[in-house]
Parts: sequence; C-alpha cells; structure tokens
Amino acid sequence: MKTGVKITLLLLVTTSITSLLLGTFIAVMRISRSRFLRACGTLYVEIFRNIPGLFWLLFFYFLFPELLPPEIGAKLNGYLYYPVVAGILGLTVDNASYVSDILRSGRLAIPHSQREAAISAGLSRMQQYFHVLLPQMYRAALPPLGTRMVHNFKNTSLCMAITAPELTWATQQIESLTFRGIEATALATLFYIALAGVMITLIVTLEKILKIDISSITHSRS
Amino acid sequence: MHVIEQLSNINFYLFGSWPKGDIGGLFLNIIMALLAIGISFIFGALMGYSRLSCRIYVKYPCIAFIEIIRSTPLIMIIFWFYFFLPYLFGGSITIFWSAVISLCVYAAAYQAEIVRAGIIAVPKGQMEAALSTGMHRYHAMGYVILPQAFKMMVPSFVSFFVSLFKDTSVTYIIGVIELTQTGIIVSQRQPDRIYTAYLIMAVGFWLVCFAMSHLARRLEKKIGVFDLESIRPEACRDEFMLLPKKKKIGPGMDKEAYCDFTDTKQ
Repeated sequence: MKTGVKITLLLLVTTSITSLLLGTFIAVMRISRSRFLRACGTLYVEIFRNIPGLFWLLFFYFLFPELLPPEIGAKLNGYLYYPVVAGILGLTVDNASYVSDILRSGRLAIPHSQREAAISAGLSRMQQYFHVLLPQMYRAALPPLGTRMVHNFKNTSLCMAITAPELTWATQQIESLTFRGIEATALATLFYIALAGVMITLIVTLEKILKIDISSITHSRS
Repeated sequence: MHVIEQLSNINFYLFGSWPKGDIGGLFLNIIMALLAIGISFIFGALMGYSRLSCRIYVKYPCIAFIEIIRSTPLIMIIFWFYFFLPYLFGGSITIFWSAVISLCVYAAAYQAEIVRAGIIAVPKGQMEAALSTGMHRYHAMGYVILPQAFKMMVPSFVSFFVSLFKDTSVTYIIGVIELTQTGIIVSQRQPDRIYTAYLIMAVGFWLVCFAMSHLARRLEKKIGVFDLESIRPEACRDEFMLLPKKKKIGPGMDKEAYCDFTDTKQ
C-alpha cells in the first residue's frame, strides 16, 4: 500500500509535468501561423481526445513494444517498471490533448494588444511566447487546467489495468491476498478524496493569488 | 484477402456474441452510456436543484455526495459496487448492472454540477420577473427558469455524454464484454490480429466520440455559454454567480421565495 501511494504520487507528478509540457507544445502548434503545424496540432487533439485514456494505456503497454524494433521491444517487455513507464506515456498523451485545448482557449482570452505590444517592444517570436503569451495563457486557463489535473490524478487509477503497482492495484492485491478488501479500498478511496481535496485547495489558492492580474487583463480589454 | 480475413470477426467487436449469446462490443458501450446518462439525469437534476436549496439538511448531504463522488476515481466506484455491495448487503448482481449502477452514481454527481451551473447561469431578473407576476416559486422554476437553463445545459450534456462514453471503457476491468474487452480478448487469443484489434478499438471509440463532440461544438456555437471543463463549484461561483452576495429582500416579499436563488454559501 505504501509503495502504491508512492507510485501513484510518482505517476501524478510526472504525468502532470510531462502533459503540461506536451500540451503547451501542442497548444503553441495550434495557434501558430503555419497552416501545417496547426493541422498537426488539431489532428493530435482530435485523435487523442476522442479515444479513451484506458485505450492509450493498453496501447502503450501491449502494442507499443511490438511496434518498435524487436530487440528494443523485448527489452522493454522485460523491464520491471515498464508498466509505470507505459502508464506515464499513456496518461501524458491523453491529458496533453485536454491541456492543449484548455490552453488554446486561454490564448483566445488574451487581448490581441498584448501580442502587438510584445512585437513593438522588439521581442523575437520565441521571447513573445515565453515572456508574454504563455504566462498569461496559463493564468487565464488556470481554473479548467486545475480541474483537468485533478481528473488526471483520478485517471492514474486506470494504470492498474496494465498492472502498474499503484494504489488501486495495491488494494486489489491486498484484497486477493488477505481478503480485507473493504478496509483497503476504503483507505484508498479516502486517500484519493483527500489528495483531490488538497489539489483543489492549492489550485483555488493559486487562483486567488493570481486573480488581480486577471481582472486587470479584462479591464485593459474593454 | 488478408484484410478481409483480419476483419472477419468485426461482428464480435460491434455486438459481442450477440445473436447466440449476450450482447457486447461497441453496442454495449453505447447502451451503457445511454442507460447511465438517462437514469443519472433524474438524480443529477434533483441533486443539482437541491444543492441550491437553502435548507441545510437538503443542501449539505448533496454537496457531500457530489464532492465525494467527484474526487473518487471511477474505478474505485466500480469496485465498491462490484465487490462490496453484494458483500455488505448480500445477494448478487450481474456485472452489467453493477457497471451501469456505478456509472450512474458517477454521472449523477457530474450532471448535478451541470444542472446547478445551468440554473445559476439564468439571470436573476428572470426569477424576479416571474415572482413579480405572482407565480409561485415552483411555477417560476418550472415554467421560467428551468426551460432556459436546460437550453443552456444541452451542449454540456452532449460533451458529458462523450466523456461518459469514453469512461464506459473502464468497466472492462470488472469483465464487461465491451469494446475494449473484445479487443483484448481477440488480441490474446490470436496474437497475429493484435494490430487489427487495437485499430478497431481506436476507430470504434473515435467515430462515436468524434461525431458527438462535433455535435456538442455545433450546439455550443448555436447556444453556447460554457463548456464542461469550466463547471466546478469555484468557477461557478465566480463566473456564473450573477447574483449579489447579500440577500436583498424587499418589503412584502417572501423570504423563502428568494432563498433558493441567493448565494447558498452563507
């Protein structure tokens, strides 16, 4: 159970970070000027959003080693922690599509004048994104982003389908070994509720800290 | 020829072993999602409405239920209903129905939030106008507020349906023969068909979800107010709370009548 909690936390932290990175990348692709990049980003989102996360977990666990060259695939299958790696990959690609969608709608909330101001300040395109657009995108998209992260946390429980030794899997092991399933499941459920509560509180606090800036943005828009 | 051979068991993916045995496959996913959303709508709407109530013994149980279910993973809910409900209360229940019930419980909490956000999104003036024409507040709710609220809720319902449809794939863990399960079964019995199995799984889910999410987007453009992602208590309070925080009750107005419609977080 202890290792279960550890692996769940590991999954949560890594997938949050990687999916934020990947999601940001896709979101930037989707708002870029190049039509090709835009199409690629849209294709990614359409594919990954419309297929359940569980499918991607199974895909990365069962099919992905088959698609790779045989030597690498066999090595991956033999790797003890491959389920965790597959879980991270699957959750990341699934969550990143939602994150990119949320960030894109966050981009729409930023007034165009911000971009113009950045250009007139002589920033390069990279600098525009990193110093002006992205921070504001995150801030504008924070509430739905937080919900999504909580959702992602709940989705880590799906990793039990691919035998990643996380909390839900651990409770099932305890159930099958000691038949004390109710206690274990109750404890796990409480853990999920508590951590989700903590995450929501953190996000709300973060929102409150950043709130003043949001109102100033909307003010400058009108 | 090869392709046809690979696709020879497409019926299994779509309907399971239906004509001879139990129904399954993609069709079962759709049935489960429809059943769950239909049944849970009743409870969800009731809870969403009672969450706005001013009576503590109505409001707080609803809030507790909604928040607990919303922060528990679906798998956990499924386990509770599958393993422990028969254990606690005796009797047995088929896999399918335990899956549907747990999906219902899960969906009810989310639907309650959708309904609540929809009711809050209707401007306060509507209620005032209805009350000032002499309607009872239940009539005002039924004839004035809810019709407008439901209209705004439709896109969220469709996109929630998409997400619920995707979540039905989770029931594979307790052994419901739905699309994911059929894919796994085929790929384990015939390892040479593993690519086709996964491809069909992906295409099956993708087609339904893509069609539905396009419908949702079109409806959103037509009606559009908010999307599912933004529905949660904090966001609702900040963005959709168009009402003043303090109760303003004019002379001669029924205090009860206003109660439902002012800020419930006292």
